[in-house]
Parts: sequence; structure tokens; C-alpha cells
Amino acid sequence: MPFVSMESVSKCYDDQESRLGVTVLRQVSGGIEEGEFVALMGPSGSGKSTLLTILGAMNTPSSGRLLVDDIDVYGLPDERRADFRAQYLGFVFQQHHLMPYLNAVENAMLPLAPLRMGSLEKRQRAFAALERVGLGAKSLRLPNQLSGGEQGRLAIARAIVNDPPLLLADEPTGTLDTATGDDIMHLFLELNRKGQTIFMVTHNPANAEMAHRIMRIRDGALEN
Amino acid sequence: MRISTIALANLRRRKGRAVFLAAGIAIGVGTVVALLGLNSALREEIGSQMDRFGANIIVTPHSGNLALDYGGVSIAGVSFDQHQLSGDDIDRIRQIPYRKRLSTVAPKLLGSLDVEGRNALVAGVDFASELRLKRWWRISGRPPQGGKDVLLGYDAATTASAIQIASVKNGAADDGSAHHAARGETLQLAKDSLKIAGNEYRIAGVLGQTGGPEDRMVFVSIGEVQALLDKPDQLSVIEVSALCKDCPVEDIVAQIQKALPHAKVSAIQQAVRARTDAVERLSRFSLIVAAVVLLLGALMIFTTMMNSVVERTKEIGVLRAIGFRRGHIIRGLLIEVAVVSAAGGLLGWAGGLIASRLALPFFAEAGATIGVSAQLALFAMAVSLGTGLVSSVYPVLRASRLDPADAVRSM
Repeated sequence: MPFVSMESVSKCYDDQESRLGVTVLRQVSGGIEEGEFVALMGPSGSGKSTLLTILGAMNTPSSGRLLVDDIDVYGLPDERRADFRAQYLGFVFQQHHLMPYLNAVENAMLPLAPLRMGSLEKRQRAFAALERVGLGAKSLRLPNQLSGGEQGRLAIARAIVNDPPLLLADEPTGTLDTATGDDIMHLFLELNRKGQTIFMVTHNPANAEMAHRIMRIRDGALEN
Repeated sequence: MRISTIALANLRRRKGRAVFLAAGIAIGVGTVVALLGLNSALREEIGSQMDRFGANIIVTPHSGNLALDYGGVSIAGVSFDQHQLSGDDIDRIRQIPYRKRLSTVAPKLLGSLDVEGRNALVAGVDFASELRLKRWWRISGRPPQGGKDVLLGYDAATTASAIQIASVKNGAADDGSAHHAARGETLQLAKDSLKIAGNEYRIAGVLGQTGGPEDRMVFVSIGEVQALLDKPDQLSVIEVSALCKDCPVEDIVAQIQKALPHAKVSAIQQAVRARTDAVERLSRFSLIVAAVVLLLGALMIFTTMMNSVVERTKEIGVLRAIGFRRGHIIRGLLIEVAVVSAAGGLLGWAGGLIASRLALPFFAEAGATIGVSAQLALFAMAVSLGTGLVSSVYPVLRASRLDPADAVRSM
């Protein structure tokens, strides 16, 4: 049984113009093993983002099941699913979406804020995450005082601060220049070498090639 | 880091909006505080003005009265089962639960006695409490001190030839010691003593004409009258002035009635009703204005919070995506509103207090004051927090219901 298992996952959105609705994902099945680095590629509108949000436990599929660590994710009530996200998942967004009013260590600490944990421990874990991405010396800087690459690293630090079993990344190098993008990809590889399971959506074939496995999606269905 | 850390950091980030919101709340709360302060001061003033009318509760002995007629001829009413009031009853009145609201208790013994060879109505009074009660009395001469001092009503003094009336031009008295008794005339004592039941008494002063029963009365110290009438410790009537601006006089009446089951206790309803009506009208006006101002404040908070939620859709989506519960989002936003509301409430209370003090001279007579009231400060805080939190409920719930998938997809 893979660590992440998608069982015939479909997603259909209501469409105000057509009464039938729009099917974005069709009977998607597949799995991700623990410690695996998987890249998902596909053209725009193929259902990549929808699949990512379903894996991210925030978009209930129209049918099918998602099992993570044998947990039926969408069988959980809403608030328990939020706890699941806090415990199991780390997110890296394409635009990073750092909080501009919080400094680097506070941004990294963000996923720990709702947890019952001492402030000192939260801070220590955030510093450790910053160290892992090479931002230990810039912990007190605001996001706008960091370069694009550093902001990407900070977004990764925020994603790994809670030691999530699964790291989800949505075009993490999409807004970066090639050199900075490579830098981020090497960081992903390094994390993966240390056992981090990663699922990454990308348009960039070179980045996808760095992963263990590439999933391709077209018209809402996975290709072999 | 806690949820509150994020909330406070957000406020620091959006200082302008926080200040604007706090200022809006401060204006609303300040208006409410100023109106309440003025209302309270005006109530005090109305109350003290009303108190100048004198007693508002009358205690008389309880008795049954029976009107008799015989053969179609009416005979004077017959009293039966008559009880007496005594000095102990004054002590009982002063021990009722609302005793602190009693400003004056004025006992009286009424009777008919020979005054300078004629029968006259004599009232035994405690001069200190009587003069406190009858503040509208204008005395020519000096206030009586008790003992052998007497005070004559205008008609009684005329009958006893105790006064001379002099017309006054330009409002000035011929004798500097004389007081104005009525517009255009001044009273001068023609003699300084008179005999009551064969005993000599000093005439301390004469009352200006009141048009009431006092004009025909001779006021003597109550102890003297009790001795002259041979009614030791007996009283005919007790007048009570209760210092109740808006307190239920009926409750005080009930308490006195309970303490004196043998007496008949009645409130002078007209004065009480006038007092209550005036205060009620003022309260209603303040309440309506305060409600309108608070409603406007609540609308402002609602609009600002709705805008804030729309602006922060992505931020809230990110927080939900990384594991914040709906409850965490609600808590964070409510902390922001609570901090701003508390600051606004504090500013509003201080501003309202200052504004009401500045405005008071335009509404009330000199001497009226508005003090610093902890109760009003707490009320202001409660109003600002309540308004802030209630008007934020919908925007905050809406924020917490944002679909993180929608927020993330739009990024």
C-alpha cells in the first residue's frame, strides 16, 4: 500500500452555463511511495492544480477516495482535515505567499502558531528549518528584504517546519530565473535525499526530470 | 508565536485602517458616553430641582372615617380606630432599607392654641428639618433656632399685629436687615415676642406670603407644642423627602408602610410623576441618539471588516492550507477587532467624558458636575467591544468559510 493512494478520484465543478457541469478529473488512480519525489506535468487546464488541491486535503473530490498513511482524508470532518494538513502536509506555492508583515523566522513559524507548543520550541524549530534552507543568518529580515530565491527558500522552510510526511509544491520555480530555480530544485533534491516525500506540479521538463517519477495528466486523466 | 501574534502583527501592518476603525468606534462610544454623562448630570439636576419642591411622601396616622347623617342632616365625620404617630416612628422610618435615599424626615404636631388671645393653628416642628424641606420659604427676620423661638405665617403675623408692611421702590428695602417677602413690599417686625397659651415666645421671623396653609400657622418647636398640648412624643404628620432621581418612590412608600403598619403613607404622585416624565423623556432621547450613533459605528465596522476579509482572501487561504482551523481564523480576526474596539472604547470614554464636561454648562445650571465613573468606563468598554464583535460576526464567519482550494487556485 503506497503512502499516498488515490482511488478513482474524479472532480466535477458546477458550471452556470452548462447544467452538466465541468469534469476536471476523471477516475484518477495512483500512488506515491514514502520518500518518493514525484513530478506532475500537463498542459494548462489539464487538472494539475485540482489534483494538487485534492492531495492537499482541501478540495473534496466528487467521487473516489484519497488515502494518506491509511487515513481516508475526505472522510474526516472539516476541522479534523485542517489538523491533518497541519500534521501531514507542507505547501510551497508558486508565488510563495509569505506574510509581508512577518519576518523570516515568524513566517517559517506560521504553521506552528495554532499548535500547543511552547514559544521557545516553536522558535527553535523555525530556526532549524531556516538553517536547513540556508537562511539562518537572515531570520529577522522581512520578505521584501530577501531576494526571489531567498523568498522561495523561506517558503520551503515554512513548508517543512512541522516535519510533514508529504511536501506539496505548485510550480515552485515558476516565477524564478533559471539559476535561482535550479537552486530551489537542488534544495528539494537535498530534502528528498533525507527522506522527504515530495509531490511537485511543474511545467518545466528539466525540473521534472530531477524527480524519481513523472506523472502526466491530460484532460483530467493520468497518462501511463 | 500564537494566533494573537499574527493578529497584532496584522494590525501593525495596517496601522491606518486600525486607527481609522478605532477612531470610528471612539466617536460612537464617545457620543454615547457624552450623552449618558449629560443625561446623568441632568437627572441629578432635575432631581435636586424636584427636591426643592419639598416632601414627596406624607405619613399620617391611620384611622377609619365614617360620614354620618341623621334625618337628612349631615353630621361631621366620625373617626374611629385612630392610631397615633410618635417619635419612635421617625426612628423606624430612618431604618428602612432605602434609608440612604431619605434626605429629610420632618415631624409635625398640629393643634389649636391661644395666641395673643385668639385661637390659632400651631404647628410644632423641628426647625432644622422643616427649613431644609421648605426651601422656598422666605423669612423676614432670622431663622428660628428652636426653644422659645417662633416663626409666624403671614396671615398669623398680621392678625397678631407682629409686622409692618412697607412698599419698596427700586426693589431696595428701607431696612437693610429686612428680606423681601413679596415683589414690591418688605416686612418689618413690629414686635419681638408674643404669648401662646400664656407663655411668652420670641418672634424670630415672619414667612412671606405663600398662598398655602402656612400663612395661617404659627410654627413653634415641636417639644414646646407637645408640652403645651399635653401630647408628649405624639406627632400629627411626618413629611419625608426622598432623594430619588429615578428611584421608585412607590418602593420607598412600601418600605415605610411596612415599618409603620399603623400609619397611612402616601406619595405625592404629581411631583413624582413630573419628575419621572422629565427624566424618561431625556433618557429616551439619549437612548435613540446613542442607538443611531452605535448603529452607524457598527455599519462602519461591518464594512471595514468585509473589505478586510476580501483583501485578505489569499492570506486566509494560505493559513487554511497550512493547517489553520476555521476556529483559528475566527479567533485571529476577533482578536484584531477586540484590540481595535478596546482602544476605541478607551479613547471614546475619555473623549466623551471631556466632551460632556465641556457641553454641560450649555445644558445645566452652574454647580452640576460629571464625575469620573468606573461604571461608565466599563460600560463604554462593553459597548465598544460588543459593537465591534457583533458587527464583525458575519465578515469573520465569511472569512472562516473561505474555501482554501479556491484561495489557492487563485494564487
